[in-house]
Amino acid sequence: MKKNLVLVALLLVPTLSQGELFLEITKGSEDPYKVAMIPFEGNKRVSKQLNNIMRNDLIRTGEFSILDEELLLPVKIIDDELVLSDWKLLGMDYLVTGTILNANNSLDINYEIYDIHKKRKVRSSKVFGIPNQIRQLAHYTSDGIYESITGIKGIAATRLLYVNEIKDSQLISTYKLMLADSDGANEKILLSSSEPIISPSWSPDGKRVAYVSFETGIAKVFIQDIASGEREAVLSKDTQISSPSWSPDGKYLSLTLYQDGNAEIYILRLRDRTLTRMTNQFAIDTESSWSPKGNKILFTSGRSGSPQIYELDLRKLNPKAKRISFEGTYNAKASYLPKEEGIIFVHRSNDGLFHIALKYKKENFIRVLTEAKMDESPSVAPNGNMVIYGIKEQNLSMLAGFSLSGAKFKLPASNGEVREPAWSNFLR
Amino acid sequence: MSKSINSLFALLTLIIFTACSSVQITEEAVGDQSVAGVSITSKSPANQAILANAVVYFGYDQSNLTSKSIQALKGVTELMKRNSKITISIEGHADERGTREYNLALGQRRAESVADYLVANGINRNRLITKSYGEERPLSLGSNDTAWSKNRRVEIK
Repeated sequence: MKKNLVLVALLLVPTLSQGELFLEITKGSEDPYKVAMIPFEGNKRVSKQLNNIMRNDLIRTGEFSILDEELLLPVKIIDDELVLSDWKLLGMDYLVTGTILNANNSLDINYEIYDIHKKRKVRSSKVFGIPNQIRQLAHYTSDGIYESITGIKGIAATRLLYVNEIKDSQLISTYKLMLADSDGANEKILLSSSEPIISPSWSPDGKRVAYVSFETGIAKVFIQDIASGEREAVLSKDTQISSPSWSPDGKYLSLTLYQDGNAEIYILRLRDRTLTRMTNQFAIDTESSWSPKGNKILFTSGRSGSPQIYELDLRKLNPKAKRISFEGTYNAKASYLPKEEGIIFVHRSNDGLFHIALKYKKENFIRVLTEAKMDESPSVAPNGNMVIYGIKEQNLSMLAGFSLSGAKFKLPASNGEVREPAWSNFLR
Repeated sequence: MSKSINSLFALLTLIIFTACSSVQITEEAVGDQSVAGVSITSKSPANQAILANAVVYFGYDQSNLTSKSIQALKGVTELMKRNSKITISIEGHADERGTREYNLALGQRRAESVADYLVANGINRNRLITKSYGEERPLSLGSNDTAWSKNRRVEIK
């Protein structure tokens, strides 16, 4: 099964189209799943489009090597059974076949996954939608393949939020809160404003977003419904409000309020807009984010003299913040991995550069995962296998990402700069 | 596709594990993806006629005033004492290094430092509005020491 994924990746680098992620796989898994994907039977154009999207989805995970289309063998069926032995000779682990049916304004995709070593079918699935949902159909199929083979939920059908800033010829900026599929395609504008927008955060059900907009002249947190566009400020207070993070049950937002001049963390109950103060400290306290079970929050505090990461146990009465980062003089904007096995955060190295770092709970050291100069705003995919973050290249900010198994990708802006990515929860 | 049809499909979504063959059989409809965008154009509040235009600068990660800033703030104090009606806006900013939310808080601390100085020198706190733009409104574009030092500032308007 072992083979150099770099070689395969070179054959499969997709043509770069606007908005879509550009894959740059520098190192994949040492031992990727080798999959032969037969172009699905049916409409040739649809089949080709599906195939491209699915290949990219699977390669981007860093855990798959997909056999080049030119090397595919004809599918042989003897006595109603698909012959798998030839695929075994090619060193494949799995075979995927499928059909596309387009009737009555419904696009149906039926696909099957065969385990070549075990010589049997392991999945038979159908996804359906209307014809213009082809990208989504492809992502659902990719996720089905990913799940069947790895046993882990796929994230192709998740979505991203990010901020796009475009400067006109007079250097006047327009800020846009954007929504896109996990591969950067299917971009939509949620909000367009002449004032800065920062810190987008998903509601756990993926139907609403919270973000900070400076449209009133100071930072304020708004909640917006994606489908209807309805939006409102979360509090009518005069004070600066920032850094929203949605609790996993969707009932609370943690926020940073500046009502006594200093940044302090509060929890807002959305039902009746009651506020509970969580920190009371002369130093900066901000960047709160919830644990997957909703019983703890992480935040950044300057109380030790430099920004460090702290944890608050919400089950306790008057919880005391516990410092959990110790390496270096700048650790900030932390979030938990989905199983709470560790945290991802921004770390300033001794050379003064900012990188994305990971610390597993059971380890007493940090792992620096990126190597640009000004890496920021990491957001972890809901299955915990990928991280998207902001980088700066030639003074332009853009998004980049990596899978924990080594694949890397970039999302250059089609226009202007992009930053502040936020990965949605699972949406299917 | 209308929402109602979609939710109907969602109800029809099946996940069946057939016991004997252990083939996972699933059927699901893709979700609704409708999006409504919003566009807003904000108008900056009209500026007052007399402005205490001054800018003070800060060290990296710092929010304490330097002796040079104090010189600049003496002028602002004088002006506010002479014109007892004006209120001023004190806007804190940070350079691009570090996280955006932490920089927003740092910008606020810088603005508060300036406000504290003015209050200590006899200006009523009610005449001062402090706010922060963090790193969102750099004065100087570029990623170098010169640009950064210009961006770590408080603007008094």
